[in-house]
Amino acid sequence: MPRYGMVIDLSRCYGCRACMVACKVENNTPGAHFWMYVFRIEEGEYPNTQVSFLPRPCMHCDNAPGVKVCPVGARYKREDGLVATDWDRCIGCRYCEVACPYGVNYFNWKKPEKNQYLDWDTPAAQVLGRVTNGAVPPYDNPDLDQPMKDKRRTAGGGQRKGVIEKCTFCVQRVEKGLQPACVANCPAFALHFGDLDDSNSQVSKLLAENPSFRLEEEYNTRPRVYYIGAPPPSAHPRQIEAVKARE
Amino acid sequence: MATKSETRLPYDLGRGGAGFFLLVLGLLVLVALGVVAYARQWAEGDVVTGLRDLGTMGGAPWGLYVAFVVHFVGVSFVGYTVAALIGLFNLDHLRPIARMALALTVVSLALGALSVLADLGQPLRGIVNLFLYARPQSPLFGTFSTVLVGYMVASLVFLYLDGRRDAALLARAPSRLRGFYRLWAAGYRDTPEEQDRHRRTTFWLILAVIPILVVAISTEGFVFGLQSGAAGWGGALQAPGFVVMAGVSGMGHLIVVAFTARKLLGLQDRITLRQFSWLGNVLLVLVAAYLYFIVVEVLTGIYQAHHHEARVTRALLVGDYAWLFWLTVGMLVVSFLLLLIQFLRRRYSLWPIVLSGALVSLAGIGKRYLIVVPSQTHGRLLPYLTGFYSPTWVEYSVVVGLLALGALALVLFFRVFPIMEVATREQRR
Repeated sequence: MPRYGMVIDLSRCYGCRACMVACKVENNTPGAHFWMYVFRIEEGEYPNTQVSFLPRPCMHCDNAPGVKVCPVGARYKREDGLVATDWDRCIGCRYCEVACPYGVNYFNWKKPEKNQYLDWDTPAAQVLGRVTNGAVPPYDNPDLDQPMKDKRRTAGGGQRKGVIEKCTFCVQRVEKGLQPACVANCPAFALHFGDLDDSNSQVSKLLAENPSFRLEEEYNTRPRVYYIGAPPPSAHPRQIEAVKARE
Repeated sequence: MATKSETRLPYDLGRGGAGFFLLVLGLLVLVALGVVAYARQWAEGDVVTGLRDLGTMGGAPWGLYVAFVVHFVGVSFVGYTVAALIGLFNLDHLRPIARMALALTVVSLALGALSVLADLGQPLRGIVNLFLYARPQSPLFGTFSTVLVGYMVASLVFLYLDGRRDAALLARAPSRLRGFYRLWAAGYRDTPEEQDRHRRTTFWLILAVIPILVVAISTEGFVFGLQSGAAGWGGALQAPGFVVMAGVSGMGHLIVVAFTARKLLGLQDRITLRQFSWLGNVLLVLVAAYLYFIVVEVLTGIYQAHHHEARVTRALLVGDYAWLFWLTVGMLVVSFLLLLIQFLRRRYSLWPIVLSGALVSLAGIGKRYLIVVPSQTHGRLLPYLTGFYSPTWVEYSVVVGLLALGALALVLFFRVFPIMEVATREQRR
C-alpha cells in the first residue's frame, strides 16, 4: 500500500495561483471555498521586506486533529494516508474545522448549487449553453459522485448543504493513477505528489536531497505535506493580497 | 371544569387566570419567533447565520449556538448540587428550592440538546449518526453521551423519585389532576418503609451522579481544552474552569428562578431570606474562585504565552472583544463585592442577592461567548487575516426562542406539579 504525500518546492513557486483554479475546476468547489490556497506573504520591516509564496493544501496529517475529534467517523484516515471526509455521514458539527490548525476545511453554508462561482441561470450562462450545444456548466464530473475504493463517497466539493469538505488530494484522480489537479497544472513544477514509502519516487528523492520542513510540526500533527527550497516562514508573516471571499 | 367537591390544590396548581395566560401567550410568541427563524435556517442553510469558515473566509464556524450549548449545560449543574447539599449534608432548609433547581437542571439540559441541534448543519443525521457511528474518542461524543443521555436520564429519574411522595399526597384528594398524580405516584403510599427506601435510593443516586456531572462538564471543557488548532483554547485550566463557571451560572439562574417563583406564587413564607442568603454565600465562593481563574488565565496569556496566544489575549483585553470582556468581568466583580459586603456584615437583604444572581447569569453567557469565539477569529496559527463574527437576527431569535421554551416548560410544569414539597418538615415528622 502506498503512503502518499506532497512535496512543495517553494523556490519554484511564484504565486500564480493556477493550482487554486485547477482545484476548483476539478473538484467543482463552491464559491469562496479554496481547498488549495496560496499565501502571498510579506516578511521583514520596510525597507528590508521580502515577498514569498506558500501553497496550502490539506496537510493530510498522520495525526490529524480533525480525525481525532470527529464524533461519527466521517473524517477518517485512509490506508494510503489520505485524510478523507465521508459526506454521506458528516453531521455538520464543524468540530474538525475548529480543531484543524491549518484552516483547510470548508462548510457548505448553503445549497452548493446556489454557491457556484457563476450564476448559471443568468442570460450570459444561457448564451454559453447555446454555444456549447446545450451543455450548460457547471460540468458535472461523474467521478465525484461515485464511491471510492473504500466504498465511501469522499470525492468532490459542493456535494450537500450542511456538511464539511476539504482537499482530498483529488482522490478520484489518485485512485486512477493520476496526479492531483494542482500538481498536474502547476506551470512551474513546484508541486510534487507520490509515494513517500517508495525510495525511488520523485517525492522521496526530493526529500532525500533537500532540507525540508512541515507547517506547525510542533503540534504533533505529523503532516504529509513537506516544503523544500526555502526556510519556514518567520514567526510574524503578513499576508498580502488575501482572498476575501466570504460566501 | 372544577366541581365543588374538588379540593383546592396548593401553589395554584391546575388553575389559570389572566396573568398566567398572558405569560404563556407571551412566551409562546417568543417560541414561535425562534421556530420561524430556525425554519429559515433549515431551508436556506447556515448561511443565514453570521457563522463562516475559518481561514480564507475569516469567520467563526462556532458562535452563539455553541456558546449557549456550554451555557445551558453549565446551568444544569445546579440541580444536583442543591440535591447533594440536602441529601449528603442534611441541609433541610434548602428543601423549598430543591425541586425548582432539579427542574431547572432538566430544562437546561433539554435546551442544551436543542442548541446542539440548532448548530448542526445536518440535524437529522446528527440524531441518527451520533448513535450509529459513535466514536467515544471524540470529546463531542463524551459531551453528548454523558451530558445529554446519562446526566439527563439521571436527572429525570431523580425528579420523578423526588416528586413521588407529593404526587401520592395530592392523589388522595379529588382534583382535576388526580389521575396525573396517581400515575406519578405509581402505587407509592408513603409508608415508613417506602420513605426509607426512597431516601436510600436518592442518596446513592446523588453519589453516583455527582461524578457524572463533573465528568460531563469537564468533557465540555475538553472540547476546547484538548485542541491545538486554535490559540487560546488548549490548557489544563479549561475543564476545571468550566466546572466552576457552571456552578456560578447555575446558582445565578436558581436565584433568579426562586425569586420569580416567590413573587408570582406568593411564596414569601416558604422561600425566605434564609435560602437566598445561603445561595448567595455559595455563589460568593464560586465567583471568587472563577475570578481567580480569570486572573490566572490573563496573566499566563500576557507573560508566558506563545505569540498566537498573546494575540488572543490582546483581543480580549484591549482589542475587538475588550468591551465584552470587561463587561463580563465587571458583572462578576460587582456581584462578588455585593455578596462579600453582605457576608462580612452578616446582614442580608434580598435585592443584592437577586441582582448578583442576575448579573452572574449574564456574565456566564458573556464568558462562554468569549471562550468560543475569539480563538477562532484571532487565534489562527497560519497567517490568515484576522476574522470576525457577528450573530444575525436568526441566531438571536433561535436563542430567545429556546430561552422562552425553557421558561414555558418551567411555568407549565409548576402549574401541574408542586414547585416544592407539599408537606412541611413539621408535617413530615
